[in-house]
Amino acid sequence: MTRFVESTITFPYKRSLGPVLGAFMTALTERRILGIRHGDRVLVPPSEWDPMTGAELPHDLVEVGPAGTVESFTWVPAPSVQHPLDRPFAFAFIRLDGASTPLLHAVDAGSPDGVEVGMRVAPRWRGQRVGRIDDIVCFAPGEEPAIDGEDGGPAEGPVTMMDYRASITYTNPVPAATDRVVAASLERRLVGLGCPHCGRVYAGGRGYCPIDAVELGPECEVDLPQTGTVTNYSIVTPVQYPGQTETEPFVRAFVLLDGTDVVLPYSPVIDLPADEVHVGQRVEAVWASSADAGDQGGMGGAWGALEGWRPTGDPDIDDPDLVNRIF
Amino acid sequence: MAPEAGDPVEVAVVGWAHTPFVRHTERSETELLMEAITAALAPLGLSRADVDFTCLGSCDYITGQAFSFVSNLDAIGAWPPKRDSHVEMDGAWALYEAWLRLKEGDIEIAVVTGSGRSSTGDPTLIYPMEMDPYFLAPLGVDPLTFAALQARAVIAAGIADERSMAEVAVRSRGRGDVDELLAEDYLRQPLRRHDVPPITDGAAAMVLATGERARRLVDRPAFVAGIDHRTECHNPGFRRLDDSPSTRLAAAAAGLGDRPVELAELQAAFTHEELLLRHVLGLGDEVAVNPSGGALRANPIMATGLCRIGAAADHVAGGGTRALAHATSGPCLQQNLVCILEHRP
Repeated sequence: MTRFVESTITFPYKRSLGPVLGAFMTALTERRILGIRHGDRVLVPPSEWDPMTGAELPHDLVEVGPAGTVESFTWVPAPSVQHPLDRPFAFAFIRLDGASTPLLHAVDAGSPDGVEVGMRVAPRWRGQRVGRIDDIVCFAPGEEPAIDGEDGGPAEGPVTMMDYRASITYTNPVPAATDRVVAASLERRLVGLGCPHCGRVYAGGRGYCPIDAVELGPECEVDLPQTGTVTNYSIVTPVQYPGQTETEPFVRAFVLLDGTDVVLPYSPVIDLPADEVHVGQRVEAVWASSADAGDQGGMGGAWGALEGWRPTGDPDIDDPDLVNRIF
Repeated sequence: MAPEAGDPVEVAVVGWAHTPFVRHTERSETELLMEAITAALAPLGLSRADVDFTCLGSCDYITGQAFSFVSNLDAIGAWPPKRDSHVEMDGAWALYEAWLRLKEGDIEIAVVTGSGRSSTGDPTLIYPMEMDPYFLAPLGVDPLTFAALQARAVIAAGIADERSMAEVAVRSRGRGDVDELLAEDYLRQPLRRHDVPPITDGAAAMVLATGERARRLVDRPAFVAGIDHRTECHNPGFRRLDDSPSTRLAAAAAGLGDRPVELAELQAAFTHEELLLRHVLGLGDEVAVNPSGGALRANPIMATGLCRIGAAADHVAGGGTRALAHATSGPCLQQNLVCILEHRP
């Protein structure tokens, strides 16, 4: 039975807006909607370029709306968490007064019968606006704009950046080979998989040989030595981004296991200050105690309970080619 | 040996294979590709060592892993180092790149793939993030919304109606009754459940070969008579949704007007898309459309378009003369590729 693991990946984007979109977003905080002149047409939302030819447009911005007419719509009976409203609504193409193109936005119309092509709608503004398209909560039937809650007023200066936080939850199968290698790590065994064709051995629960493109089953498993030599390393100075838990510079070392061709990449070092790590250093595996092991202990993922490597104190290996062994 | 200057290099599809198409696979994308590539090469008596160039089509957003195509390289046997490329697009665009590469004339065999595990996440939450980041993504505008708005436009233009859409669904899936389907509730007006594609996991791999090598490998290679792809502007509000000028341009450039085709495989994930594409391409009743069942029967995202080319190649390999394959990308048929395959004596 294949095990699945759920993970959520979040991308906190900061997007620069440029002169045209920046002006549009700034105007939203002032409860105004801007289009851009393109010959005798007005494009809404404004575009820096002619959408057909890519030619740059003069920055001739013009206010449109705020009310407009529904040109087309589709009723959304079951909104997603990303949608602007948490109750059924319509996504609609709305031609704002003075615009030549429709704006796609939400219409809060109560029921599918409450929205129709040709109906007049006006924006419902968010009270606290930051310069994003969802400063307009939605459009609602009628001619008069409305505000949700207390009006926080316009932005203090021009809006030049926009935050967008993309977050997705995935469910992925864990390859059987990875599960077996992680299980072995709880017994403090470092298990590799040997290819029956080329003889190469892979660590980290890789269930296939990337050279011969064949799957490697349980019959291919071999126990690997738990001592090795540092071939290369990097000292990482942590930059503070969302999810970063490190605060001090830390080492990621590459370790060539004794008597094999196997290099374990990106490994932490234990009991070893960053400025003392060097190529040729002899190290041994350190395992999380059984209480800590599992998904929370050790390096996690395919490395299971392996926590990292600590110096054995043995003399260094002097081999100038070692530094090239990172895979 | 490189051909003489000016000597046109013929490129043909000589084989292809795909994994089972299922709602939810327990296998990784790399494993799916491993199976598909082996299954495409083996009947030709070829091994991975015979392949001069590979191009893989997949999407990190769907896989949920940055650089997921690097893991997929494990399936091609990339040692000794291979000429390899990747497109963050359907495998049909990987085929376009391989076709270009083979046209250089210095290599003979290419493998292209398309792969995706749509079950990894929720498509209604993933796709909005691929849309315009300023005006669409923050509103979570999802594929069903775009499809419904385009269906409305196509219906308003008289190119489709709900009945003809249901007829497409019944023909594609080989089951169902039009009147019964039309009695169902809307999923997203004017779309009902039968108008939308299934969520499918799977991978496909295709082998391309240049002229003489292709003729030695199989009896009836499916030669690429023409291939072209065009795109339209990214804001769906700025273009007509009841037309597809990019498809029309690509088809003309690929040579649709030169000689008739007997079969067309169209990447129409939604029923109205097939009717719009038939209309734009001017396909009459004499052309068999999507006998494979198309994307309405199996929709392995990132491989669906490549499978259309595979099904068209099967037609030529099986005795047919000329077939059209179409692939699409983006909301409301934003970008379109047309590939025409033909038998050559």
